[in-house]
Amino acid sequence: MDTISLVKDMLTAATGAAKGHAKDLENYLKARVKLIADGTAAIAADVLKGKITEEDAKFAFDEIRESEKTAVLAVEATTLAVAQDAINAALAIAAKALSTATGIAVPFP
Amino acid sequence: MESNPEHLPRARSCPQTGNSPTPFVTALLSINAQRPGTLLAFLLGLLLAGCSVLLIAPYDATTDRLLTELTVLTETVVVKADNDQLSVDEKEKFYAEAEGTVNAMKMRAGLYAKNEQEIAALDELGKRYHALHERHASPRTSLTTGLRATLLDVQQIQVAKKRSSVFSSGLNKTSTSP
Repeated sequence: MDTISLVKDMLTAATGAAKGHAKDLENYLKARVKLIADGTAAIAADVLKGKITEEDAKFAFDEIRESEKTAVLAVEATTLAVAQDAINAALAIAAKALSTATGIAVPFP
Repeated sequence: MESNPEHLPRARSCPQTGNSPTPFVTALLSINAQRPGTLLAFLLGLLLAGCSVLLIAPYDATTDRLLTELTVLTETVVVKADNDQLSVDEKEKFYAEAEGTVNAMKMRAGLYAKNEQEIAALDELGKRYHALHERHASPRTSLTTGLRATLLDVQQIQVAKKRSSVFSSGLNKTSTSP
């Protein structure tokens, strides 16, 4: 078995598995930044129009700050999904290589 | 059962230890940094054990559907509130329905192992709705930004799980194809 080629193929599969998640994460972060920017502008506009009080504005901004906790959770969940897919992609390549080299059918996953 | 997304998926073949996945990933990276050959041996060990790695709960189509419906409801109510077209009764009904939906989603999320992030995010989502409800606030854009950002965060968790599920299906097809 060519170990160097196998490692290379496994790394390629693992990297490929992570790419889709990376694009999703980028889109999500852009959407989140835009939502908060628009929301902050809406707070300012509503205070100026007298639609909400200064107290409401403080509450609204506190809620934005609180929401950062879930942003961390979303990034954490995405990271776990990336790691899971990358490891399983590498294992799938290894299973195929082992089957080819030994003739033993290695069931995966 | 696997073809029906409304059912809970079967458990993976890998035994569940209940341990946090973080030390596992840290250990993996640490092994990799020391010697790539050791990483290969480690992965082959996993392979021979005949199991795939499960670090996050599987995608659940019902949770995703409930979340989409909740998002549509929230965005509709926000538009009405921005145009001063939301009655007090409608506002109360909205908060009750939204908090009920979040509770139902939390119950469902608790059925899966490795779902800590989603459960914690749903807890936070419930708090966002409750804070607005308690304040008797009109759900205008200006007051609901934190809530809508949290909704987006929970959606991202579903997106990551769905991509992972599609990816796993691809691996299954590849490994079972002749």
